[in-house]
Amino acid sequence: MVSGSQDMTNQHVASLNAEGLKQLFLSGTKFIEANVDAINSLNVFPVPDGDTGINMLLTLQAANDSVATSLPQETVGSLIESLAKGALLGARGNSGVIFSQFIKGMANGLSGCKECHGSNLQSALSHAADAGYLAVGTPVEGTMLSVMKAAATAAKNTKGDLVDVLRNAYESSVVALARTPEQLPILKEAGVVDAGGQGLVAFFAGALTFVGSEQVNFEISAATGSNSLNPTAINTDFLEHTEDEMYGYCTQFVIHGSEFNPSKIRSEVMHIANSTVVIGDDKLLRVHAHTYNPGELLNLGTQKGNLDQITIQNMDLQYAEFLEKHDKAQRPLAELGIVAVAAGKGISTILKELGAAVVIEGGQAMNPSTAEILSSITEANAKFTIILPNNSNIILAAEQALEMSEGKGFVLPATTIPQGINALLAFNPDQSNEDLLSAMTRAISETKSGEITTAARSAEINGISITEGNFIALVDGKLVSAENSAEKALITMLECSLAQDDSLVTLYFGDQINLAIAQSTASLLSERFPSCEFETIEGNQPFYQYFVSIE
Amino acid sequence: MAIKIVTDSTSDIPEELAKSLGITVVPLTVFFGEDAFKDKIEIQSDEFFDRLQNGNILPRTTQPSVGDFISAYTPLVDEGHDIVSIHISDKLSGTLNSARLAREEFPNANIQLMDSKLGSLGLTLVVKAAAEAANSGADVQAVLDTAADVASRVDLFFVLNTLEYLQKGGRIGKAQALVGSLLSVKPILKCVDGEVHPYEKLRTRQKAVQRLQDIASEGAPFEEVAFIYQAEGEEADQLTTFLAPLSSKPVITGRIGPVIGTYTGPNVVGLALLNPKTS
Repeated sequence: MVSGSQDMTNQHVASLNAEGLKQLFLSGTKFIEANVDAINSLNVFPVPDGDTGINMLLTLQAANDSVATSLPQETVGSLIESLAKGALLGARGNSGVIFSQFIKGMANGLSGCKECHGSNLQSALSHAADAGYLAVGTPVEGTMLSVMKAAATAAKNTKGDLVDVLRNAYESSVVALARTPEQLPILKEAGVVDAGGQGLVAFFAGALTFVGSEQVNFEISAATGSNSLNPTAINTDFLEHTEDEMYGYCTQFVIHGSEFNPSKIRSEVMHIANSTVVIGDDKLLRVHAHTYNPGELLNLGTQKGNLDQITIQNMDLQYAEFLEKHDKAQRPLAELGIVAVAAGKGISTILKELGAAVVIEGGQAMNPSTAEILSSITEANAKFTIILPNNSNIILAAEQALEMSEGKGFVLPATTIPQGINALLAFNPDQSNEDLLSAMTRAISETKSGEITTAARSAEINGISITEGNFIALVDGKLVSAENSAEKALITMLECSLAQDDSLVTLYFGDQINLAIAQSTASLLSERFPSCEFETIEGNQPFYQYFVSIE
Repeated sequence: MAIKIVTDSTSDIPEELAKSLGITVVPLTVFFGEDAFKDKIEIQSDEFFDRLQNGNILPRTTQPSVGDFISAYTPLVDEGHDIVSIHISDKLSGTLNSARLAREEFPNANIQLMDSKLGSLGLTLVVKAAAEAANSGADVQAVLDTAADVASRVDLFFVLNTLEYLQKGGRIGKAQALVGSLLSVKPILKCVDGEVHPYEKLRTRQKAVQRLQDIASEGAPFEEVAFIYQAEGEEADQLTTFLAPLSSKPVITGRIGPVIGTYTGPNVVGLALLNPKTS
C-alpha cells in the first residue's frame, strides 16, 4: 500500500504565491501523468474505456493550460479561480467532474487570498471536499469523495504550517484510500481501491513533493490480475524538466496494428509532443498529445499502424473564443434540441437520423470534456436542451456543462447506446417538454442493453473469472459472462437475459467486426434463439465488438 | 323535416351504427390497377387486405365524385332536410372539395360542410355525436357546434407495421422523417390538426401495442373510446376487453376499411379517444 516518508533535510515552504500554486498543480499533474496507466487499471470492470486516470489527467491539464494561456495571475485567489475555470470546462468523466468541483471549491476557499498559508489551505480543502460532495446527486462513500473528506478533515485538525497541513492531508488520503474497498463491496470484490481516490492521492503526493522538498514514497495498489502496475518513480529532477505548458494543437488518434510496445511509442511521442498520453496494448493504442506540428505526430502514427478517429483541435483558440464562435452558429434558434454522445460513426448516423441536433463523436475514444458538451449545447441553439450521455461516466460532465450553459435543459440518465437510441425513438417534438422527458425516461428504463468487449485485465467479478483478452458480456452494466469468443459471450448474454416475450435483438457491431461476421453471428444466434429476430447494424464503435439491444 | 348527417367511407363507421343513427355514407373508390371498387360496397376489408398482401398491385384511391355527393344529397334535400356533411381532413383527401362543389347544385338547401381534421373511427366519433344531437332536436348550429367540440377532443392514434404504404400513398406528412431509418421501427402515429405526425417509435409491434394501451390508460377515463383493427383475432379481442373499462359507454369497434387500409397497410390497430370536456 501507500506510505509517506520524509527526509530530514526539510526546507519548509511557509506559503505559496501565485507562481508557487501554479507549480504545485503542475507537480500534482505530473504525478498523475506518470501513473496514468496504473490508475486506469483500477477500473472495477476491466472494460477498456472511460479511464479514470486519463480523465483526471486531462481535467488537470485543462486547468493548467488555462493558466498558461492567460495573463500571469498576481494573487493565489485569481490563479486558482483561473485553474478552476479551466478544470470545469476540461472535466471529463465522473472523476474529472468531481475533481473539477474540488478545485472550484478550493477557489472558493482561497477567494481573495494573495498568498496561501497553512490556514488558507485548510479552508481551501474544506471547501473543496464540500464542493466534491455537492457535485454528485447521491454521494457514495468508498469513492474519491471519502478520500477528499479525509484529507480535508486531517488538514483542518493540523496545527502547523502549510507543509504540515498538506502532509497530514496526504497521509490521511492514503489511509482513506486503503479503506475504500471496505466501504464499497464492489471494489473489494474486484480487488482494487477506488481509482478516482487513487488519482487524488497521486495529486496530493505531487503537491507535497513540491512544497516539502521531501521524497514522497508513493505507491499504487495493484489491481488483481494485473501484471504491469509498477508505479513510475518520480523525483524532483523529473519535475524540473517540466517545460512551460505549450499549447498548439490537441491531437488525438487511435493506432491499430500489432506487436506494439506502448512504452516505447510513448517515449517517441513524448519526444515530439507535450501532455502526452499513450495507452493501450500490443494491438490498439490511444494517443493524446499537444504539439505545434500535428503532421509530425500523425507521421509517427502511420509508421506504427493504421490510424483511426483522428481529431485535431487548435488550442490557441481560447475556450471563450471557441464558445463565442459557436454563439454565432448559423443554426436557427429551436424550441428543443437534443445533444447526444456517440461511440462510432454508425451510431452517430443513427442518433442524427432519429433527431439528435448535435452528436458528440469525441466520445468514441474518450469521454468528452465538459467544454465539448458545452459547445455542443451552444451549437444546438435551443431554448431547451436534452442531453443523452449514453455512458454513465459522462452524466456528471453533461450536468456540469448544462449548468455552465445557463440554459434550460435536462440530462437524461441514458448510460448505454441502446438506451440513448430508444430514448430518441420516443422523441416527439409535438409533446410538451415535460411529457417528452417522461416518455424518453421511460424508454431508457425499459431498455435492456448488453455490451461485448474484451477484458483489459484478468479479474474475478460476480463469481466469474476473467482472463485478460476474454470476451466479456455486460447486461445493463452487470458482468454476466467471460468467454473466449464474441459469439459465445453473446450466447451466454442472451441465455441469461432473454425474457419470454422478447422478440427482437439488435446487434450494433463495432469497428473490429465486419458485416459478414456480424451477419453470420446473427444467423448462428437465430438458430440458437428461434423465437427472436436478429437485426445487424453497423455501429463502428471502438473497443466494443457489440452493443446489443433486446426488446 | 330534420337534420341529416352525411359522412364518407373513410370514417370506417360500422354499418349498423350508421343505419341506426340515419347517417348517409358516401363511398370513396379503391383501384387495383384498372379495377375500381366502391369502398365497403363493392369491396370489403377481408378481400381488400387479401389482395394487398398477396397481390402485386399497389392500390390507389380517389375521392368521391361530385356526382356521388349529388346522389347522396338529392334524396335528403327532396325530403326537405337540412344537411350537416362531416368529412375526412382535407389535408388527407379531396373528399371535402367534391362535397363543396356538389353543394353548389343545391342553392336553396341548407347544407353545412365540416372538416373533422380526422379520419377512420376518429371521424366516426364526431359523426355519431352530431347525429345524436340532430336526433334529439338540436338546430343546425348546435349540431355543428357539437361536432366541432367533439372533433377538438378526439385523439386518434395508429400503430403501423410499416410506413411503406403511407409513404407510397403520399399521405406521410411529418412522419416522413421516419422513413429510410437504418433501424426497423414500429411507429405510433397521431393525427394532429388533420395531418399524420409521428408520435413514438418502438422497436417491436408488441411494444408499440403495449404503448398504445399505456397511452389509453394514462388518459382514462374517456367520454367514448373507439378501437380500429384489421382482423378479428386474439389481439383484437384482448384490446377490446382492455378498453372496455376506460369509458362508461360501450367501446365502438370497427374494421379498417379498404381506403384507410390503402395508406396504413396490413396489421394496423388504432384508437380514437374522446377526452372529457374540461370545464
